[in-house]
Amino acid sequence: MSAIVALSPPPALAPAPGKRAVLTVKGLSAGYGPMRVIHDLDLIVSSGERLGLVGLNGHGKSTLFYAIAGLTGWQRGSILLNGVEVGRTRSQGPGRYTHTVVRQGLALIPQGDEIFHGLTVEEHLDSGAFTPRAWKERKARKERIYAIFPPLVKLMKTPVGRLSGGERRMVSIGRGLMADASLFLVDEPTLGLAPKIGKSVLDALMSVELEDSAMVIAEQNVALLEGRVDRVIGMHAGKLKGEASAALGFQTRREL
Amino acid sequence: MDIGFIVSNAVVLACIYGTLAIGLSITWSSVGLINLAYGFIFALSGYGAWLASQYVTANGIVVLGAGVLTGALGGMLVCALAFIPIHDKPNFTVRGLIATLAISLVGTQALLWFFGPRAKNLPEIFGFWKVHLGGIILTSDKIGNVVTSIAVVTAVLLWMRSSRRGLEIRAMMMNPHAASIVGIGVRKTGFYVMAITGGLAGLAAVLLSQTYYISPFGGLTPMIKGVSIALCGGLGSVRGAVIAAIVLGLNEALTSRLLGGQYVLITQFVLIIVILLIRPRGIAGMLDRAREA
Repeated sequence: MSAIVALSPPPALAPAPGKRAVLTVKGLSAGYGPMRVIHDLDLIVSSGERLGLVGLNGHGKSTLFYAIAGLTGWQRGSILLNGVEVGRTRSQGPGRYTHTVVRQGLALIPQGDEIFHGLTVEEHLDSGAFTPRAWKERKARKERIYAIFPPLVKLMKTPVGRLSGGERRMVSIGRGLMADASLFLVDEPTLGLAPKIGKSVLDALMSVELEDSAMVIAEQNVALLEGRVDRVIGMHAGKLKGEASAALGFQTRREL
Repeated sequence: MDIGFIVSNAVVLACIYGTLAIGLSITWSSVGLINLAYGFIFALSGYGAWLASQYVTANGIVVLGAGVLTGALGGMLVCALAFIPIHDKPNFTVRGLIATLAISLVGTQALLWFFGPRAKNLPEIFGFWKVHLGGIILTSDKIGNVVTSIAVVTAVLLWMRSSRRGLEIRAMMMNPHAASIVGIGVRKTGFYVMAITGGLAGLAAVLLSQTYYISPFGGLTPMIKGVSIALCGGLGSVRGAVIAAIVLGLNEALTSRLLGGQYVLITQFVLIIVILLIRPRGIAGMLDRAREA
């Protein structure tokens, strides 16, 4: 967290003025088995917002995303997605309710390679169009993804298992963008990519028109987020620590 | 005993066992369940078809349809009993194995209780006619079996390639965790998978009943053959299962011709072991060019 210099008190639980709250998390705890990873976390994300979530490995960024999607071992606390309660006290069954959460408008773009090796790029993008509307419009939506990631056009009929790491990440992100989502959770989009490719992937994410939706990007490299997101929140030991907004001009130490 | 007769027999058996193997393979790779109740579903759908032929009509299509429908219902029953309650509990693979084994034992005993130990036979659903093809006599049931099983399996595979549910099933076969992230409901897809694979078992049961009788325990041998073909082809690979069915069918034909019928199972398993020693992922390991993980 030393990366963020301008620290302010913990975020207040109200959407930004004139905006709608896409995600409201209250008192969320989550973990796996006996281990508690997220501790009583409160977070609000307003519409049209790009939020950066920074923190070291093992401090709960991915677990927070998984908890929102109902994929952790257990969880408790309130998660309101577009005003609908999707969080519940759960002790087992990770993933049982995930598809209902996704139907409420969540697109989770997971860390690493959560892809289907044998499906082609095209089928892969189709699989992301979960809601009936997205499925009907899937042709137009695919065109949009190809516009964001031009390298995918040539690879349409190629099984994803044969692609390179950067191409896979593009497919994975593209799959998330196919959905009718109002909240995009992007987990470490640049992890394991060469800096140049990582930057272009992030640029592509920035080029997505958010309109009424919101995007949360978990990232370790604060310098990459600088100037690209509206707000940055630090995460440490399962809690949110400190916040900096782009309006305040958050500074990062370059040597980190 | 001429070679044409044996080869045509082997092709027929390969088609039927291949159908079973594909069903088992799809079940295992998409819902993660080794369905030991598959033999029970097989026997159950045989009885379903028999009931239809006794009390409704002996029309071939109706009997076949009744068998497939009973199989699909049986598959959904197994799904409701052995998949839905335990699929998110720890050690699901072993629990599912035991649960399906229990369903199989209870189910076959129930069939024995209801229908008695006497074997039943189905009407000849493909009629009585013969084709002479270059000295080989092909009877109606052989041609009907081969054509029907290939047509139905092809239809199922095409459906899995082109439809949305098929896409969901294939996605779940490749990465269940990512499938739930994308928003695919595991339980709903489980019902689809089990209904379809159950229907395939029903199809195989009716087709095999053209050669053998229907009995409460008649599903055991076909299931063992199906499992071994699925293993040999690489669990989860449909193309692998098809090739394995052909290879093992040919092996069966050649062994019974050259060595004698009693050696069939020996050479069968030696062949499977050799294939799995060379290619631990089965024949699919040779087909699959995609990079893993």
